[in-house]
Amino acid sequence: MGNSGSSNKVSAQDKAILDMKNQRDKLHQYQKRITVITNRETEVARECLRKGDKSKALLALRRKKYQESLLAKTDAQLAQLEILTADVEFALVQKDVLFGLKQGTAVLKEIHREMGGLEAVEKLMEENEEALAYQREISETLAGKMSNQDEDEVEDELDALEREVTDVNVTMPDVPTAELPLAEDLNRQKDRAKRRRERDEALVAA
Amino acid sequence: MSTEQNPKPFHFPPHHSFPPFFTLQPTSSTRASQLSSWSALILSYCAHHRLFSLRFPSALALPLFCNEGLGRRLRAGDVKAVLAWMGSAEGGGRVEWVDGGGKKGVGTGTGEGEILGEEGLTGRCWVFWRRAEEWAAVVEEWVERTGQKGVVLTLYEIGEGEGTAGEEFHGMDGELLRRVLGVVVKRGRAQVFGEGDGLGVKFF
Repeated sequence: MGNSGSSNKVSAQDKAILDMKNQRDKLHQYQKRITVITNRETEVARECLRKGDKSKALLALRRKKYQESLLAKTDAQLAQLEILTADVEFALVQKDVLFGLKQGTAVLKEIHREMGGLEAVEKLMEENEEALAYQREISETLAGKMSNQDEDEVEDELDALEREVTDVNVTMPDVPTAELPLAEDLNRQKDRAKRRRERDEALVAA
Repeated sequence: MSTEQNPKPFHFPPHHSFPPFFTLQPTSSTRASQLSSWSALILSYCAHHRLFSLRFPSALALPLFCNEGLGRRLRAGDVKAVLAWMGSAEGGGRVEWVDGGGKKGVGTGTGEGEILGEEGLTGRCWVFWRRAEEWAAVVEEWVERTGQKGVVLTLYEIGEGEGTAGEEFHGMDGELLRRVLGVVVKRGRAQVFGEGDGLGVKFF
């Protein structure tokens, strides 16, 4: 943290903004002063009237009027100053936004360059497609070379695994008899053989 | 800065109506508890009326130091002793004399029947009902809350501006404010720039 302060240095723009804000503060103080003066003049006028000195009261009121006109003028100046300050500050914000956009665009471009352009992506996708197709072929070839018995064994194992996974937390009661599952197995094997035949036929037809 | 800004009356603690409270006791244990009671009272009184400093001898006339109903007041010598204790390490460094005022003549004998000023209690002292570090945190919190990080602010704006009217540090003495901002600058969280009366600060 210690050294990062140096990157937060006050810029020339900050100094200019400070000058404007100081000017604004001075106007504020000036207005405060004038307000006090006008209040006092009113008091003076009232006092003079009480004493019956009409001309003096009039003079005080004239002075007050003049001070009030000054007040209105400073109000306008103050508004101008504030608008200018706000504009400068907003411009600085805009500058920051622009800088952010520039950075983001540069990064995005750099990433695209690393990716090698649209053509490279298209080419890659094509190659990917080809590789996938090739892989499918290999799988089919491999699958075709397996005997029915092998397939059966593989699928039995899958079933066994599935059972294991689903029943892993359930303590099952002991199997009552050994015959029923055997018959079931036979049935299942028959079913599967039938399904495979149908599929093969379908493939041939296709 | 000795104007009282809080319209609500300050509720003095019951011991403020207890006559012996206005005479510092010689017994050391009694004196110690008396000093800390006075310290707490002065701090809460100044916090209530948002007094950042006390100017002597005029501050001796504050209801803080004299109970009209009781006809008692804390004598200047005793006030000086209390303030000296508050400024010590034991008192938590809550008081600090401006320009070394009030230092000279500490511990001089107190003249009987004399009340105001004649005992050399003149000058101005800060009363830190919040320490400079605490003030720094308050100001930083305000900057954070109002989204003014990175914005150039004038010191006048922070102390006297309309934007800080409801804040605790509003009306703070310029000198004290500069000191508080000095703490923030030291932490590397702000930078003070400009010259003369037109100082500005930018928080990071």
